[in-house]
Amino acid sequence: MNPFRRSPFVITATMLVYAFLYLPIIVLVLYSFNASRTNIVFTGFITKYSDTVLADGSNVIQSPCGPFHWFCELSKNTDVISAAKNTLTIAFIATLISTVVGTMAALALQRYDFKLKPFSQLSLYIPIVIPEIVMGIGILTLFSQLFGFLNNALNLNGDARLSLGLGTVIVSHIAFMIPFVTLVVQARLQGFEKAYEEAAMDLGANEWITFQRVTFPMILPGVLSGALLAFTLSLDDFVITFFTNGPGSTTLPIYVYGLLRRIITPQVNALSTVWIAIVFLAVLAIQWVQNREQK
Amino acid sequence: MLKRLRENKSAQGTLLVVPTLIFMVGLLIIPLLLTLVISFGQRSSDGNVIYSFSFANYIRLIGYSTDCASGAKICFDPLYAQIMWRSLALGFNTTALVIILAYPLAYFIARAHPKRRNTYLFLVLIPLWTNFVIRVYAWMMLLRQEGVINNILEFFAGLLHIPFTPLNMLYTPGAVLVGMVYEFLPFMILPIYTSLEKIDNSLYEAAADLGANSIRTLLRITLPLSMPGIVAGTILVFIPVMGTFIVSDILGGRQVVLVGNLIQRQFLDARDPTFGSAASLVLMVLTLIVTYFYTRKFGFGEEIVAA
Amino acid sequence: MKKSVFWKLLAVVMVAGFVLAACGGNVPATTAPSSGGNAPTAAPSGGNSPTAAPSSGGAAPKVTSSGFVCPEPNPKVNVTSTQLNLFVWTEYIPTDIQECFQLVYGVTVNRDEYSSNEEMYAKLSAGATSYDIVQPTNNFVSLMIHNNMIQKLDKSKLSIMGNFDPSYLGLPYDPNNDYTVPYEAGTDAIVYNADKIKTPPTSWSDLWKNGCLSKNMIMLDGAHDIIGAVLAGLGYDVNTKDPQQLDQAKAVLLKLAPCIKSYDSDSPKTSLIAGDVDLGIIWTGDAFLAQQEVPSIKYVYPTEGAILWQDNYAIPTNAPHLDAAYAWLNYSMQANMFWMMLRDFPYTNPNKAALDYAKGNQMAVTDSNGNQTTLGAIYDAYINSPITNTPPDAIKAGHWLEDLGDASPLYDKIWTEVKGK
Repeated sequence: MNPFRRSPFVITATMLVYAFLYLPIIVLVLYSFNASRTNIVFTGFITKYSDTVLADGSNVIQSPCGPFHWFCELSKNTDVISAAKNTLTIAFIATLISTVVGTMAALALQRYDFKLKPFSQLSLYIPIVIPEIVMGIGILTLFSQLFGFLNNALNLNGDARLSLGLGTVIVSHIAFMIPFVTLVVQARLQGFEKAYEEAAMDLGANEWITFQRVTFPMILPGVLSGALLAFTLSLDDFVITFFTNGPGSTTLPIYVYGLLRRIITPQVNALSTVWIAIVFLAVLAIQWVQNREQK
Repeated sequence: MLKRLRENKSAQGTLLVVPTLIFMVGLLIIPLLLTLVISFGQRSSDGNVIYSFSFANYIRLIGYSTDCASGAKICFDPLYAQIMWRSLALGFNTTALVIILAYPLAYFIARAHPKRRNTYLFLVLIPLWTNFVIRVYAWMMLLRQEGVINNILEFFAGLLHIPFTPLNMLYTPGAVLVGMVYEFLPFMILPIYTSLEKIDNSLYEAAADLGANSIRTLLRITLPLSMPGIVAGTILVFIPVMGTFIVSDILGGRQVVLVGNLIQRQFLDARDPTFGSAASLVLMVLTLIVTYFYTRKFGFGEEIVAA
Repeated sequence: MKKSVFWKLLAVVMVAGFVLAACGGNVPATTAPSSGGNAPTAAPSGGNSPTAAPSSGGAAPKVTSSGFVCPEPNPKVNVTSTQLNLFVWTEYIPTDIQECFQLVYGVTVNRDEYSSNEEMYAKLSAGATSYDIVQPTNNFVSLMIHNNMIQKLDKSKLSIMGNFDPSYLGLPYDPNNDYTVPYEAGTDAIVYNADKIKTPPTSWSDLWKNGCLSKNMIMLDGAHDIIGAVLAGLGYDVNTKDPQQLDQAKAVLLKLAPCIKSYDSDSPKTSLIAGDVDLGIIWTGDAFLAQQEVPSIKYVYPTEGAILWQDNYAIPTNAPHLDAAYAWLNYSMQANMFWMMLRDFPYTNPNKAALDYAKGNQMAVTDSNGNQTTLGAIYDAYINSPITNTPPDAIKAGHWLEDLGDASPLYDKIWTEVKGK
């Protein structure tokens, strides 16, 4: 038995690091019940449920929603709802497309030899090793020049004018998500047993059926892993979205950043708490399902 | 034609990879080339680009300046070199700290009961899945003059009757470092965990049988075998830190000027896209150089695939 | 991870997505008056708002989520666009005004924000954007006209021009108001917390004469504003291009740099109120609001002259929704709408009609601190405060910023260096 396993040093260090990881989260959640509207000092929980709202100076003492006052405010906030919609829309569409495209690329790179192979492999590594801001600026420059040129050449006006918006964000997200998906699927393909495929072909299946019935199910966990990774990256992305978004395509990270630039009410905390709660529940759900599967 | 496609393996491969290439070339290579072209341009008086071929921007970044206080014609202006250095320093410091903090935790999880490992991992991932900007905001709340940490310290100082002035933590380089470490800790924990998990238990037993104590086991077996994880984690941490501008903006009070801030300012406030493009490319090259040497020494860390 | 787990996870997330999408469709603020929200409101009982009576017979009054009854637009124009894209300063447009416009005209308002003119200019000149309304400050207007970035206004569509105090019209940067409509005006001057600063400053040079006047200073994040202030303190032109004068300004700022805790153009009042900083250079509106929250905060016009500025509405060239843009200009600056600026963003208000509307008005209003008061009282506070109602001698001594042209990188370099210390 390795003595390290129960080493007090390791255990203390672990607990301290976990505490470090969760301290800000706990503070965030706690302050979402803060009575103080300016949210600098925690002045206590909003306690009473009542029909009227009494604001004592900058403190909210009573509210129809009681301690959940800021959550109620949040639900009335149309900006947040539309930002959340945008974030999810972008994430779904981008994940779908990048997973398909990335899986195709992974298959190509792993199974075939062709002239463009080294170039493709290299170009897929680039987004991973360059800072996002470089990519963001580059894409912004590209769109600016391209749209400027097209708008003039085709004489587009009014709503037909090409400009930054939901489309440009989605396309940019796909671009930086493809390398990650490809990498994950490629790794999965590496350990793949070709024998199954060959067996299927021997038994008379053509390539498409083989792919459908043998290959794809076996690489599916890898593909889903890649999809999940891509989805997470898109949800959380700030830098690329910052440079490519336009009117009406604000995502949640951009929106929170905007909120941080103004007076910060506990509404921001309420938003964070909701987000954390959703993640927590999703994780619990996965755990529960996994436990059931193992029985 | 379809039949010919079936025979030609090379064509199949190419076809599969075409959509990817469209995205990569269109949204990565071409923008980078554009950035390169613009970086050789010059700034018009209105802030637009005059396309030319001049190294002026790069020279300015290195420190060769033509407007000198002392009235000399040319002098050395270290401003931008300092900014690059500051970013590099932050990158190294963050990475080092993150490795130190991540290792014990990753080790603990790797050596824990298999049934519990997933739970511990999820506990690490949950903060990661909450929004990046929100996490930075949380640190603002902790570090400000009347923030949580100062409140707690004040409370204890009151108990012990020690006079207490609030610590000035927010809007300092230290705050930026703490913020960055917090943001990227999970990115290091996961790869290290993956590589530690792969170490066969029997190796530890063999070492114990041969009489090695814990330190030796750590140095001779654990550490070397977990190198791929450390390398992968470093790549996942160092590169984003080099390009960051949000954390230094919010937690540094806009005073900690890193390369990311410099680039962002050039495009937004200073209206000098040529200079910004040059800085952008220099940042990229710098990052690539450091990464290259690092991976040459320590290996490539194929364990990036940690999921 | 197991396959079925993933499907379940994806299903959960997709359901969440659909639920949110469904919710989003139901949220637009056509809610009942007594929503109980705590945002500053006008009493939903209709109070004394003379022009709120719907003139179009029979239509139910539109009410915002905070309970404010939207007045009818006067004149009401025909708008076929379905969207309006605003590109405006952070913290500068009352939510009620935006909501009312959406309700009354049925147009979705998308609002993107910036916290510096340079940022606005850069995004606009990159050319890939489609905004309908921007808010350039005076020193950027001539630059934008010169570069064809804003279009000539059709004055026949702008009945609102009659609302303004003539002293804010026809200014040198746009002599006939061909391109701009005044929005708000104000100053950059010295703000300090009298509880923490024992020797009150009276001039720019007081900030640095004997070392830092305070160890916790705040500055606007604007190169030209702050460097200009220092130049004024040194007795130079705030728009100088002379390298030697700029070097002196840089030296002063480098000396001050260690004492500057924060550079903030988004919400400078936040750190002031929080006590993180106690001295600095900020704007009219933020100083006024900070003083309401913390009465010991004072705003003083330096003897060498404050920086004067005026923000304006303009329409970018190639704006896609012109009809909505003109509708916005006329509606949002109506007297019975624009008074909200006095309550929410108290800068110097050029809209004489709105001021007249507010004067002596007994309508119940909740101010920014949550206290119940009347619009007339808010007006009185506005008129009587030297912060918002700049005294004539301060205006006379003040300096206007102008576009720097190719000296812009010089200022920016100084700014980068100073901030890096």
